[in-house]
Amino acid sequence: MTDKHGDQASPQTLATHADTSNVKKVPPPETPEAIQTRFRVIAAFWAVIIFLGFPIWWKTTSIYRAHLPIQEMVDWADSKACRPVFPLEIHLATPGLQSTEAQHLLRTTQHTLDDLNEFAAHHLRLKLADDHTGEEDVTEDKADTALTVRLLPQEDIAVPRSEIHTDTAQLDVFYPPSQVPAPSSSNPPLSAFIAEELQRLYSEEKATIAHILSGNTAGLDSTSPQVAESISRRLRRSMKYAETYHLSFSLFTPGAEPSSWDIEAAVHEYLSPLLEAFAPISNFTVDTQVQLYATFSPTAPLPEYDETEAAWNLKKEDLSAFINAAEWPLNPSIGNGPTINFILYVPSPSQSPLIVKENRASSWIIPQWGGVFLLNPDLSPKSKSNPAHLSQESLRPAFMTFSHQLLTLLGTPSTPASLPLRLHTLIRMRAAALLLSASSTMGSLARLTESLPSIPIPATVAASVSTTLSHLAATCSNLRDGRFSAALASARIAEAEAERSFFEKSMVGQVYFPDEHKVAVYLPLLGPIGVPLVVGLVKELKRIVASRKARRQAA
Amino acid sequence: MTFFSRFSLTLLALWSALAAASSDYHERLFLHPLPQSSLLASFNFRSNTSQQSFDNQHFRYFPRALGQILQHAHTKELHLRFTTGRWDAESWGPRPWNGSKEGGTGVELWAWIDASGDEEAFAKWITLTQSLSGLFCASLNFIDSTRTTRPVVSFEPAGDHPPTDGLHLLHGTLPGEVVCTENLTPFLKLLPCKGKAGVSTLFDGHKLFDAAWQSMSVDVRPLCPPEGECVVQIEQTVDMVLDIERSKRPRDNPIPRPVPNDQLVCDTSKPYNSDDTCYPLETTTEKGWSLSEVFGRKLNGVCPLTDSKDPNESTVCLRVPHDRGVFTSEGTLETKQADGFTRCFTLKASEPFDLVIPEQPVTSEVPLEEPILNAERTIVGHGAERGGMRIIFGNPSDTSDVDFIFFETLPWFLRPYIHTLRATITGRDGVRREIPVSEIVKETFYRPAIDRERGTQLELVMSVPAASIVTLTYDFEKAILRYTEYPPDANRGFNVAPAVIRILDSPHTRDTAQNAPVFIRSTSLLLPLPTPDFSMPYNVIILTSTVIALGFGTIFNILVRRVVSADEAAALGAQTLKARILGRLVAIRDKLGGKGTKVE
Repeated sequence: MTDKHGDQASPQTLATHADTSNVKKVPPPETPEAIQTRFRVIAAFWAVIIFLGFPIWWKTTSIYRAHLPIQEMVDWADSKACRPVFPLEIHLATPGLQSTEAQHLLRTTQHTLDDLNEFAAHHLRLKLADDHTGEEDVTEDKADTALTVRLLPQEDIAVPRSEIHTDTAQLDVFYPPSQVPAPSSSNPPLSAFIAEELQRLYSEEKATIAHILSGNTAGLDSTSPQVAESISRRLRRSMKYAETYHLSFSLFTPGAEPSSWDIEAAVHEYLSPLLEAFAPISNFTVDTQVQLYATFSPTAPLPEYDETEAAWNLKKEDLSAFINAAEWPLNPSIGNGPTINFILYVPSPSQSPLIVKENRASSWIIPQWGGVFLLNPDLSPKSKSNPAHLSQESLRPAFMTFSHQLLTLLGTPSTPASLPLRLHTLIRMRAAALLLSASSTMGSLARLTESLPSIPIPATVAASVSTTLSHLAATCSNLRDGRFSAALASARIAEAEAERSFFEKSMVGQVYFPDEHKVAVYLPLLGPIGVPLVVGLVKELKRIVASRKARRQAA
Repeated sequence: MTFFSRFSLTLLALWSALAAASSDYHERLFLHPLPQSSLLASFNFRSNTSQQSFDNQHFRYFPRALGQILQHAHTKELHLRFTTGRWDAESWGPRPWNGSKEGGTGVELWAWIDASGDEEAFAKWITLTQSLSGLFCASLNFIDSTRTTRPVVSFEPAGDHPPTDGLHLLHGTLPGEVVCTENLTPFLKLLPCKGKAGVSTLFDGHKLFDAAWQSMSVDVRPLCPPEGECVVQIEQTVDMVLDIERSKRPRDNPIPRPVPNDQLVCDTSKPYNSDDTCYPLETTTEKGWSLSEVFGRKLNGVCPLTDSKDPNESTVCLRVPHDRGVFTSEGTLETKQADGFTRCFTLKASEPFDLVIPEQPVTSEVPLEEPILNAERTIVGHGAERGGMRIIFGNPSDTSDVDFIFFETLPWFLRPYIHTLRATITGRDGVRREIPVSEIVKETFYRPAIDRERGTQLELVMSVPAASIVTLTYDFEKAILRYTEYPPDANRGFNVAPAVIRILDSPHTRDTAQNAPVFIRSTSLLLPLPTPDFSMPYNVIILTSTVIALGFGTIFNILVRRVVSADEAAALGAQTLKARILGRLVAIRDKLGGKGTKVE
């Protein structure tokens, strides 16, 4: 291999330096054709590598990354794309007033309301209830009516009073006929009264939505710390929104009795009406089970007997260890959607009655999981044992508590008294929360795809992202137009699609293929081939540079 | 001689007497000492739920987790088996429950699924196996299309199904699954009394999985009595054969110790009998045992869900001759059955129960029936390419033929040649004759395998004549798998699922009241496949790279190098670094070598 570097040395310089005593034979100079051929050979090899080998390698090892509208996704996450607003349409029914009087009352009340409102995203829009209720306006653009206010004159009262219907979205306002505002008065007391009533009805909703929109930190300035605390506690406790919830009612007892309960009748009687009211928001499935010999976990602190109360006490801090998760069969139900567990625990006769020490309560909520009710049935006087069967009547307190716990776990606000109004509020809260959650998922996905360039992005993800974005936009416009049920429906789809695109399985497949392995596979081939190729190229370049220099010197 | 196993008959008869009882929950322990100091303990738990409350998901005795899985997968009838060990039919006689409550080694699952088409049924089947896998902590999710078959004649629904149902039977086995305590714990959780009361308190994973043979089963089926509403019945069974001597070893000191010298019973008539030499005498007495010794604990009362007022409700039954002395805990009611061998005990609620059989001389034995059919299946042949299967059926009866269905599923990488199916018959005279297969096999259902998609399914309706042994053989070829298809322990071999044999109603069995099917399962097989050297891909990469690099380097060098003669090369290379170093080296060598060359 001694001839390796010899070809570029010119015979002339060699001759001058060859001052050894051995006179060496100098090869004849290379013909320009030979130099040309060598250049062409090397160029051909490199051309094949650059124009054929490299593209094939690139093509076969590259990963498919569908195009994502990154900027739009980030805009949604930064809530630049949409400012959610909640215009509530309130109908004013004025059977006892003239049209002009009613118009005037409407104007002044709206004016007072706007003055009172401090949260611009949530505002109440008054509208006179049309008399032509017979011809239903079936166009889709019609906004949901949040509340109907009926103004009823009543003779025997001095100041106006209001009454909310607990089973419909209706507020009756009774007023003395003398207080019908004159067209000239700019701030009649009746308007002020109505405005204040409405403001009071929606104050909690406003605070909650402000709390959600501001990212669970600070709500409105005016909300008292107690209210803010209770709102954030309720939001923390409530389940994540789902289309279907599985309600699982379990009877646990440490002994063998009671082993049966009138559960079908109890569910039908105490729970079904509530679940039907929730139908526009979520669906529910109900399953029940009886579990005997359900003992506390061995590490759980045991209840203590309190002589003064004549009851067994559970300490409040021990309630978290009450559920024996290892042994009680409380596995989630099959199917989509989370499971809400309700546990009816009947203590053994030797530990009855069992109550919570601090507040003598017999029930508590486990946030985002379910509720527990301690049922202390009357022991049979003879044998001091639990009854073998729990009747529907004895289940009544438990199911009243479970209904209340279910409302809390679903995030329903505590005011106003009317259930339809609370459910309407819940729809708006859920729509707002879903909108934010889907938007932030979009932002996370955008950041993820930007920070991990080696993960593939399948076309399904791009499709899901575009569905999400279009439904987010639909949600936003529905909210703006006051169609909250439609907004919730599109927000649901947006959230589902966003989750699907974020948790796409095929995106994470190749992340963990390390570069070292690739090198280990390529090196045995690339090493032996690459070295002669590179050396050949370097030599040829050197020769070209040298000949250029020589030519310039010659010139 | 009856051909129907009287022992299994007893078990079934006792049990079916309870089927009409009012209570919804029953449990039963059946103890049967077997020869060679073994004890068969057969636990059974059964409860009914009305179809309506099952559909509405109001679960009382029925486990909620299992119920929801069945509803989710539209499964109408389910049979799940966990089995370890081998039933020694030669010494222990016919199988408990006539084999209908046991599975092949490992896990076996078959279910009737309500679906409108084959594909939908398979999708639901996959849902079912995945969910059951989570519930029972078993690898049931590995039952994929290659391990799933749709038997045509081998299984029949045990429940009452409406005739219009589009029911699909799917069957899957995992012969390599190791059944252990993690499968027992979820099994116990399905019971209403959860091992806290009743006969289930005897379950102890250490004892259960130390047994010579054990089988756990879960059966769910709908039952529609002629009068009354339909019910969904769940029946759970645990059968185990314990070695009494082995089970009596204390838990903290389980190593067997030799019998001390002074307790040895020696044959003193032997000439070599001395202080240090002993020919042990065979004992004529039966070893004593008790529940607490064998199971390590006492039976804790009665599960209060059973109807304790029912006089037929006896929870523990023992099959020993009536003259054998048996002691039980106080307050236990003993009823002896008319057959002279079975006695049952009605337990006192909430009192621990123990049963003691003291060591006593054997005066009479419980007769052991002979099985209806003996079957054995082995892989024969040698080499990595081909092999053969041999199945031996022995009919011990002298008078009647045995009709049965032989069902086997073969993995796709075992490719049978059905045309090589041969049959030989050996009579009592010991002469072996080859006979046409059609003489033995009445009908054949064969579904060939598709590589990597499904396995071979072979169902043969056969008849073995009286007092003869029939041997079926066929050849097969072993496929070569892809590199990634080998499991980590590839050299261990691949499991081939056991064959299932269902005895068809013969005139003898039809006479009896019981028409429960009789099942026999062969042992599972281990098929050695040709296994590659698993470092092969890297060797191939390196070897190919080397060869390519060699060829490439040579050609490239020839193309770009300048060819000069050797003496010219020296001149060309003189002023390079290497040449200078070489020159210096040559100079030093010359100097040291003392060769008379001129050196400057």
